Amino acid sequence: MGARWNQRVVAGTAVGAAAVLASWLGVGTARAATALSIAAVVLVAALALISSSEFRRDHPVVARAAISVAAVDVSLVVTGFFSSTVDSNLAIGAAMSIVLLGLSFLTGSSGQISIGNGAFMGVGAFTVAIWANHHATTPIAVVLLLAVVAGALVGLLLGLPATRLRGPYLAGMTLAFAVAFGAVLNLFSTWTGGDSGLQLPYAVNAPAWLVHFFQPGTSSLTTNSVWLVDVTIVTAGIALFFMANLFASRTGRAMRLVRDNDVAAELVGISLPRARVIAFTVSAAYAALGGGLWTIINNAVTPATYGFALSITILSLVVIGGIGTIPGALIGGLIYAFAASVIAWFTAHTGLNPQGNVASQLNGIIFGGLLVLTILFAPTGIAGFVRRRWAAWRSR
Amino acid sequence: MIRANGLSVTYGAVQALRDVTFTAETGAITAVLGANGAGKTTLLRAISGLVAPRSGTVSLDETTLTGERPEDIVRRGVGHVPEGRGVIAEFTVEENLRLGAMISPMPLRDGLNQQYEWFPVLGERRKQAAATLSGGERQMLAMARALIAKPTVLLLDEPSLGLAPLVTAQLMHTVSELCATTGLTVILVEQNAKSALRIARRAVVLYLGRVVADDDAAAVAQDDQLRQYYLGMVK
Repeated sequence: MGARWNQRVVAGTAVGAAAVLASWLGVGTARAATALSIAAVVLVAALALISSSEFRRDHPVVARAAISVAAVDVSLVVTGFFSSTVDSNLAIGAAMSIVLLGLSFLTGSSGQISIGNGAFMGVGAFTVAIWANHHATTPIAVVLLLAVVAGALVGLLLGLPATRLRGPYLAGMTLAFAVAFGAVLNLFSTWTGGDSGLQLPYAVNAPAWLVHFFQPGTSSLTTNSVWLVDVTIVTAGIALFFMANLFASRTGRAMRLVRDNDVAAELVGISLPRARVIAFTVSAAYAALGGGLWTIINNAVTPATYGFALSITILSLVVIGGIGTIPGALIGGLIYAFAASVIAWFTAHTGLNPQGNVASQLNGIIFGGLLVLTILFAPTGIAGFVRRRWAAWRSR
Repeated sequence: MIRANGLSVTYGAVQALRDVTFTAETGAITAVLGANGAGKTTLLRAISGLVAPRSGTVSLDETTLTGERPEDIVRRGVGHVPEGRGVIAEFTVEENLRLGAMISPMPLRDGLNQQYEWFPVLGERRKQAAATLSGGERQMLAMARALIAKPTVLLLDEPSLGLAPLVTAQLMHTVSELCATTGLTVILVEQNAKSALRIARRAVVLYLGRVVADDDAAAVAQDDQLRQYYLGMVK
């Protein structure tokens, strides 16, 4: 019989402590080495918990927290070693993963469709920009929370009529919202800046104590691109933790019954309208959080970013990654983060030089192609495909 | 006691139920029999609020259920196991039961243990996905999911559908035992009239949406005309 989970944590932490010594020997500054060492200890302890099936069974919430912490921990460390371009792409992708988690819950769990999540992102993005322009001293975490609340409220309002609609009619209603969003922003141009949008009045930088800790000028860990990606990754980690618990909760299970058999759901006492409104509200809140982060990362927001095309891209990414799964949302975010870079690399190395409409629509063409391939060859998305192959390999 | 009084239901131009009146006695099994299209399933759906009657009422003891939402009717103690069972294949047995326990007044663990006592095979397979269960086990799971909410009335729609005769007999025995030991009121919709009449106290026979017989189950079982013309049972 294997070691109990608490023995594994002790052993794991000891291994992590050994890493402290190793990193002190191998990393440039003592404080960066300390930070890396702490990261190593946290990672090893988290992995020790996750690796115990007994612990996962008895403490599922803590196990999910450990998974989130391990993922965030590794991501924070590796971003310190990437170029600023890669970090910026990662930040954009991590924020997109949050949006995809929300839509994955709506579509994968409750069985509803939304072509308006790009506009929900816009609600969060503009909430952050407008609030920051009027109350520059509000801490950024609070501004992001306001974006979440704004997104949830709009989702709730849109979710109420959605309770009576199904399939193409529901898709049509969310499509109308996505199309109308830009016009609504223009209607309130004194607040939203009209077509040109808004700039944040300040750059979101690492706090002074952190910069001081890493000794400015000697470490790359506090440059702005690293800080922004770190903030986004930590936020994504928290969002992932909440979503993992929501998927596994009573509400999450009830949603799946609503998706699979709404008659059976009613017959176990689930209110279909309430379940559908909750799913819409959660999905919109997640989209708004992602949009708010995009404003912080880009330091600006324009209405054109949150047009109908973005909503279609979000829906495509959820399908490509795998509807209703957390890994699917993370995969979708990564694809979004690096699609443009991969396309640029590919065209540069193959000598292809697309011109005109083809060049400007290349992202859409690639996502469309990927979507068709996914539907044809991996209907459960990349996450589902990998899971099936893994299960087949293990059962051999 | 649950009572349907002058219940009529239409689907567009089709009248599925016509002025149906009957009473299901407390603590007994009432079989609702009839050929395909007689209105048996519609009757259960009207009782549990899934379809709105054009006229008539359904009452549970002194409470009128008509006009209430299905989830509220369930909370009043009317459990309904629909045709096709409605379990989630990807969920384990226990996860399916937890769904039913959402409105249960009992602590979850007690409710689960009670179901595992009544349906031991579910206890043995509590961690198995519902997709891996046999047809009979799935039917037990669907029943247990309804029972874990502690209903006073259980509506069972074609529980023997697609099951082998031996499994059907076991299932009917379990329903009969439940009724006898817990005082549960059961309305049992069945095409398999023989099995249903064996355990029922009363029987209601529907034909094209009308009640053509409402009598003791033993009397219906002995009525050659009913057996031959409405239940398709040949001597």
